[in-house]
Amino acid sequence: MLNRRRVLGLAAAALSATALPAVAAAPPANPTDVMTQWYRLVLELIRHTATQTPPVASRAMAYLGVTVYEALASGNPAMTSLAGQLNELTPVAIRPDALHDEALVVHGAMTASVRHFFSNTGPTGQRAINAVERKLTKTLTTNQPADVIERSLACGQTVATHIIAWSANDGGAVVENMGFPLTWTLGEGPSNWAPTSKISQQQAPLLPHWGKNRTFAMPPGPTTCGLPPHPEYSEDPTSRFYLEAKEVYDTSLALTDEQKAIARFWSDDPMLSSTPPGHWLYVAVDLIKSTKMQAPRAADLLARLGICVADAFIACWASKYEYDLLRPVTYIKRHIDPKWEPLLITPPFPEYPSGHSTQSGAAAAVLTAFFGDNYAFLDTTHDDEGLEGRQFPSFMAAAEEAGMSRLYGGIHFRAAIEDGLRQGYCTGAHTVALRTM
Amino acid sequence: MRHALILLLLASPATAQTVPQFVEETAPSALTHSFAGEWEFMVGGGVATFDCSGDGKPEVLMSGGINPAALFVNESSATALSFRRVESGLELDMVSGTYAMDIDADGITDVVLLRVGEDTVMRGLGDCRFERANEAWAFEGGDAWSTAFAATWEKGADWPTLAIGTYIDRAEEAFPWGNCTDNQLYRGTNGRFAAPLPLTPSFCALSMLFTDWNRSGQPSLRVSNDREYYKGGQEQLWHMAPNEAPRLFTPEEGWARLRIWGMGIASNDLNGDGFPEYFLTSMADNKLQTLADPKPGAVPKYADVAYAKGVTAHRPYMGDQTKPSTAWHAQFDDVNNDGLADLFVAKGNVWEMPDFAAEDPNNLLLQKEDGTFKEAGDTAGVASTLQGRGGALADLNADGLLDLLVVNRNGPAQVWRNTGPAGNWIAVNPQQPGPNRNAINGWVEVRVADRVQRHEVTIGGGHAGGVFGPQHFGLADAESADVRVIWPDGTEGAWQTLPAGQVHTVAR
Repeated sequence: MLNRRRVLGLAAAALSATALPAVAAAPPANPTDVMTQWYRLVLELIRHTATQTPPVASRAMAYLGVTVYEALASGNPAMTSLAGQLNELTPVAIRPDALHDEALVVHGAMTASVRHFFSNTGPTGQRAINAVERKLTKTLTTNQPADVIERSLACGQTVATHIIAWSANDGGAVVENMGFPLTWTLGEGPSNWAPTSKISQQQAPLLPHWGKNRTFAMPPGPTTCGLPPHPEYSEDPTSRFYLEAKEVYDTSLALTDEQKAIARFWSDDPMLSSTPPGHWLYVAVDLIKSTKMQAPRAADLLARLGICVADAFIACWASKYEYDLLRPVTYIKRHIDPKWEPLLITPPFPEYPSGHSTQSGAAAAVLTAFFGDNYAFLDTTHDDEGLEGRQFPSFMAAAEEAGMSRLYGGIHFRAAIEDGLRQGYCTGAHTVALRTM
Repeated sequence: MRHALILLLLASPATAQTVPQFVEETAPSALTHSFAGEWEFMVGGGVATFDCSGDGKPEVLMSGGINPAALFVNESSATALSFRRVESGLELDMVSGTYAMDIDADGITDVVLLRVGEDTVMRGLGDCRFERANEAWAFEGGDAWSTAFAATWEKGADWPTLAIGTYIDRAEEAFPWGNCTDNQLYRGTNGRFAAPLPLTPSFCALSMLFTDWNRSGQPSLRVSNDREYYKGGQEQLWHMAPNEAPRLFTPEEGWARLRIWGMGIASNDLNGDGFPEYFLTSMADNKLQTLADPKPGAVPKYADVAYAKGVTAHRPYMGDQTKPSTAWHAQFDDVNNDGLADLFVAKGNVWEMPDFAAEDPNNLLLQKEDGTFKEAGDTAGVASTLQGRGGALADLNADGLLDLLVVNRNGPAQVWRNTGPAGNWIAVNPQQPGPNRNAINGWVEVRVADRVQRHEVTIGGGHAGGVFGPQHFGLADAESADVRVIWPDGTEGAWQTLPAGQVHTVAR
């Protein structure tokens, strides 16, 4: 039997007003369902929009999450606005003192926000956005009073507009040539990053200035969550640097089936998957659905997850271009085995630290704070691709596996993984510290 | 000394390349047609060329999308291209691709129309008239979004084997991704096709080609797939043993996973090792694959040499566009008759795709003596920035120079006449008795001095259309060439010396 207090709570969360409705409205739709349906599309759009490389995707995730959170917070006094907590975010407009449908508020916010942050998507993505909007609008407006519909959608759109304006000058709003600079001077030292593919576009590294973007929860400045230098570059076979390269090489020659499966499971290649931040977003959305999470809490989770991975990529990219380190494939071919090839495609940017490790550390920090230390879960992100789901005893365990997957895949040294995870925990802690409810 | 250096540079084949001049004659030739449509025609737009009037000059059949397909009879002269649109029976709508072949071996060219809806086989009646033959040949046209085609005659077969590639499930509007529909394989005998065999898994094919990649005598089916829509997919190569179910080549057999926005396949033995290279069109960088270890019994492991050879064609080479390109139809052929296969690539934005160049000129990449290629689309005059899709290099006015057709999406089709300069040429039309009259998947070899050029005779590949006609070879200064045909069953025809400047039928 449903608990009476729970029923009332559900209704209050979904339909808020300071005045009683003048007419009997339809039963409120669940705003969480609206969020998860839009986020299902977002995961596809990340994969199918060429500019949505992992850093860019993390940025979109942050703004979408903040938008949906602020949209709900604008009508829920129990939710603390992130304005004043996130860098340069000002308060959103105060809602009109009238009845709103929270599902429609979320729908209005997501529609405007998805259209903006995925404006570069192709014709199929645009068609899909239209289809999802049309379908949800039809469902959510059935038997709703016209004024409630109009007011609720407008409320969501207003919040989205506010967040979009905030995003405009963060340094990441314009991405040209899929993030690859048209001119770039490669470092000339033996330790400097060198292109690793024969793809013309990737002869320059991805998004070299991303580390200068405005952060979200992390205080601005180059020293925030910065990293110590990687092991000193050396070609001496007894040096730590050489030994780390030898570890990648030796591991690659003796990969177990399990290690190969781990490498492929966390490969999360852009344009072939929803990218590393999308991987964690899939996990979060799956948990929102499986735990039947209430809308304010779901919005809190989506906002925090987006913020933490976005900050992680900014910190990580700042370090990557500070150290400009070559990839294992470059070093190993030069000094160990000229015919060696890694299991995974080497990403086209400097090695240290590992981006997947950094953002996985951040995501794990936030999810752990949200769900608890030993929250077991089944990660089915790649079911569609035919990759078997993986069971984890905790988010931290998953993040550590994500980090190690890069060593198995032959694209990172151990230091980049371990320091990347540490950098992620640091950036994630700033997100955890946000006050929401 | 300085003069001597300049002369030396000019004499070097790698630097002093003949750039043929193409003159657009779309309007004066009366080739007025448009491939049009929205989402369901963002791909497709193929053109087929074939001679159905018997005058040695190929007619032009273009897909129309929501417009009817259109057949243009070729009335060109040496100095002017000229076409006349005729009622042929091919004027179906919802056509995305067109390929010509002689299905029933009666010596009259037939046509396969790929459609968004029911695919249709059209029997040639002669004099450029066609009639629907789905029922007569028991061809089940289905109801898919068809986008790729290839045909061959399997060993011992008296009827061709057709492969039709399909794209997205049209009913999946909000979540089309991961909803590729099945490709189909049609085998048959005694003048009828059997029920199609689904080529599962299917990954949204945009080009297919039966090709004897390892010279085993048994062509395989190569499929280039659009990664935008598949999940768990990749490029594919199918074993095609006669009377057996097709079977994918596996990693254990050397096949390496490649995931691109595969849109078109062109093949040619560029390096003269006897094995074809494959150019795969995509978005941003394109691929040029060469067999990593070419030898009898080779495994299908390929190295990508597009960057090394200068054919990545990843970005517009003119104008102020810095965004990456979108490539569709591709074809190797020798446009300056210097004895080196060149590469044409049709370019065009998918459809308001802002991450990619909106003005994306076609490529004409001329091969140099050292095996690398140089862009000449602008200097040759074919750098149209309309939304190119299908294309064809074909000798439209029978002057020995390959002319160019391009089908543009939601814009006028274009035709250019090649005015040279160019070297000598020869064209070879292999003919054999039996069901596979045109020696499909045989090889034509042309030898000048000790250098051999070779073409595999194929039906398929490109983007949604292709050339059905004699194999064209440039001869540079040579007045004659040694020619032979290696027939589809592996029988090597005798070398014969033939004069340049003619189309030769080599009969078995």
